Amino acid sequence: MTEKSSADAVVIERIVDAPSSLVWQMWTDPEHFKAWYGPEGATIPVAKMDVRVGGTRLVCMEVQTPNGPMRMWFTGEYREVIENERLIYTESMSDENGDVSAPSDMGMPAGHPMTTEVRVELNDIGGRTKMVLTHVGIPHDSPGAAGWEMALDKLAAYLATRRNR
Amino acid sequence: MAATIDDDRLSETFAALANSTRRAILARLAEGGATVNELAEPFEMKLPAISKHIKVLERAGLVVRGQRAQYRPCALDPAPLEEVSTWAERYRPIWEARFDRMDDYLKQLRPPTKGRQAG
Repeated sequence: MTEKSSADAVVIERIVDAPSSLVWQMWTDPEHFKAWYGPEGATIPVAKMDVRVGGTRLVCMEVQTPNGPMRMWFTGEYREVIENERLIYTESMSDENGDVSAPSDMGMPAGHPMTTEVRVELNDIGGRTKMVLTHVGIPHDSPGAAGWEMALDKLAAYLATRRNR
Repeated sequence: MAATIDDDRLSETFAALANSTRRAILARLAEGGATVNELAEPFEMKLPAISKHIKVLERAGLVVRGQRAQYRPCALDPAPLEEVSTWAERYRPIWEARFDRMDDYLKQLRPPTKGRQAG
């Protein structure tokens, strides 16, 4: 398994036992998405997805706390939509109207950036699917520019050499 | 591993990284120290503009300047980047757990098959 590393992202590669068309639905069909996305003990009461480039998404996560249920809202925009292959969207904390709020106001962990970007790449391998998830801390300010990847790859390599010292 | 991450500092790191010129400067510095003039070379940008970018990186703690009066060479300080890495790694277990649930859900949805299924 190839582990792509980046200085600013978490990258996870998985083989999913389903064709890419079905895995695609896991991400883009609200009913499917609600079934797996919510963390243990939480639910996704709302998932609105306008899956096309520039379309918005709004997801509500409800967790149980000693003080009763707490709802967290996340909004974002689709940046790339290639059916069954590639999905890119941004994610920010928001209110129920999709108005972005500062992560610190929402009790998020220290240092949570305002906007993150989620990339999902699917590759059908004979009825199963190789899924690569990349969650980036900083949204790309220059879409399509290879400079971003290259710069951060270099930095990641540099960090790796320091760690191995 | 540091238990706490300085919130403001991390925000500053993210802000500093959200610019292609500054990322290119950092990538260049990952190969070794350089003067402002050397850093400016690949860019079609005036020296003061480059200096401004370097100041942003300096404030974010990503670049340190030498004390040699005339040249004050720049060097990369990767400590803030390591904090960003730590931030990103926090999300690994969250995603892993989600994908475990996706696997379970898919199993409920359809029994695993060897062949291809129209979908």
